[in-house]
Amino acid sequence: MEPPRTPALRNRVERLRQAYLAKLPATLVEARQGLGRLVADPLDDRALADLHRLFHNLKGTAASLGLPKISAEGAAGAETLKTLQGLAPSQRELASVLADLAGRIGYLEGLSGEETAVAPEPAPAPSATPVAARNAFDPQRRVVFLCDGDVDGEQLGSQLACFGYTFNSFTDPEALKAAVLADPPDAVVMSTAGTGIFDGVEGGLSIPVLFVSERQDFATRLKAVKAGGEAYFLKPVAAHEVVEILDTVTVRHEPDPLRVLVVDDEPEMAAYHALILEGAGMVARRLDDPARILDELGEFQPDLVLMDMYMPTCSGRDLSRVIRQIPQFVSLPIIFLSSETDKSLQVSAMRVGADGFLTKPIQPEDLVTAVAVRAERTRVLRSLMMRDSLTSLLNHTTLSQFLETSIAAAQRNGGQLCFAMLDVDHFKKVNDTYGHPVGDQVLVALSHLLKQRLRNSDMVGRYGGEEFAAILQNVSEDEAVRIVDNIRRDFAALTFKAGDTEFSCSFSGGVAGFPAMDGAESIVQAADQALYAAKHGGRNRIIGSAVAAAGLKEGV
Amino acid sequence: MRILVVDDDALAAEMTSAVLEDGGCDVVAVESADLALVHLAGDADFDAVVSDMNMPGLSGLDLFRTLRGRGIALPFILLSGDDPAALKALEPGLDACVAKDADLEAALMDAVADVLLPGGD
Repeated sequence: MEPPRTPALRNRVERLRQAYLAKLPATLVEARQGLGRLVADPLDDRALADLHRLFHNLKGTAASLGLPKISAEGAAGAETLKTLQGLAPSQRELASVLADLAGRIGYLEGLSGEETAVAPEPAPAPSATPVAARNAFDPQRRVVFLCDGDVDGEQLGSQLACFGYTFNSFTDPEALKAAVLADPPDAVVMSTAGTGIFDGVEGGLSIPVLFVSERQDFATRLKAVKAGGEAYFLKPVAAHEVVEILDTVTVRHEPDPLRVLVVDDEPEMAAYHALILEGAGMVARRLDDPARILDELGEFQPDLVLMDMYMPTCSGRDLSRVIRQIPQFVSLPIIFLSSETDKSLQVSAMRVGADGFLTKPIQPEDLVTAVAVRAERTRVLRSLMMRDSLTSLLNHTTLSQFLETSIAAAQRNGGQLCFAMLDVDHFKKVNDTYGHPVGDQVLVALSHLLKQRLRNSDMVGRYGGEEFAAILQNVSEDEAVRIVDNIRRDFAALTFKAGDTEFSCSFSGGVAGFPAMDGAESIVQAADQALYAAKHGGRNRIIGSAVAAAGLKEGV
Repeated sequence: MRILVVDDDALAAEMTSAVLEDGGCDVVAVESADLALVHLAGDADFDAVVSDMNMPGLSGLDLFRTLRGRGIALPFILLSGDDPAALKALEPGLDACVAKDADLEAALMDAVADVLLPGGD
């Protein structure tokens, strides 16, 4: 029989599934701890019962949430433990059973990524790199269906194409509906005139719908919201605004996992706490020699330091004083861990700049919460300091710092990288003709385009005014010129609206790379010269430093 | 229909509640058999209990037997990751026994309909 699924139930189950998968790493950490208890004491019947229940719950809940692989492992693990429960303690052949369970937990940990096609990958893994590399410069085409009843749809489509979206236009809402049901696109952009066409679709529409309308009365807006609209745009629609929403609804932007440095002279404790944090999806690095703290901070760039209060070579308080003496780390949160329950000692620890004080032994979930809350806050603060407020690209200072560290890394690994400087052509004319708000739109559109078309490993910054810059990792100068030139072509194809008039913009760019240039200063200078050559050569073009230098020699 | 859901796993309870609420029931969820007993003692206004089998402390079956022992004849549906037929055989007094598997949504609503709407087809 058909399950009596309504859209509301479907959404709710989907959310539950996501929540369940997000919680799975923590559940598996718990499973490993249970296993540890059994190893420590094979006669611990309570540990046995707890572990059995955990596997049994995996079996049932995962099955009812439609996650068969997880459920199967849970069932097998529960079965193994059940045979154990039936035996007298002396007869328990623990070794093989524990190996079997450890294997299942390990398999599940690996599976978290696979069975979660529906969910964000909970654990960050080194295997993420090839994925990023695969998408490099070949922006995954995302498909959007447009239905707007008039020619506007077609025009919006060509603009979306410049941002890497493939689009299909429909004039008839019924045709749109049929196409969506046959082969769902990544998103639908439609006129509010068609609100309601997806009502009554079995199982509801699971793809995001964006509405455009010339009406801004409350009733129309309410209808759009009720129809599941993710956004509502008034005509005339600015393509980059639609793109901003499309980007957020069609791409899962995986936030970088929080990074925690765990300082403890006891390697087992450090490993244990690191394991808990990793179980919650964070990246933890262990440090058992406090003397190396400054190197680690610089290299690992943690969002938070978790530190044992009492260590033989130096106390946590002294160590945090050392950290606080470096301006860059003044706001880095430090949490102390100690079995100290004396409040006055805790207070004195706070006085030297600790942000929290946790008492050992700590519950895994308490540790995760305490760390996550503070680390997230640093993230936000840091991002506010590092980014340009209009475009939210990196600011000049930050990008320059990244250039230095990227070159140092490339020097170490024998890699290559490029630096591109871009400048919007005749931008002053845009501002003077149409006003600054329109000029800002152009800058925001370009920043979107750059963010979207460059890889995650690349860094994009607003260098100042109408000048942008990007660091492209692991590409030759020729490749970088080609990549930036593609972006240039698409940017030039965008039309901007200012009142009733439409206009287009272009940008020029210069590219220089390491190892051809060997320091940050010389790369920036070479890119700047190449940019100058591009401007001089007639604008709306990208020139590499090699070509620019050759041209200079020939006096062209 | 007002239904008491008992499950120590909050997510599983939420899943069960989602299905029941989608079917038009009002749901109160508690996380242990002990809490279920407290609720039922203070509030007689439930039409049925839907309980998980495997819970720390009192199991779902223990809860069922305790209720019947106190003369509370409220319809009782047991959810389990194990074979429901075996549990029903073990305790024939259960009104229904539903497997926690991929068909939970359909099977649970069928069971609720069977139990609460006798004679309905």
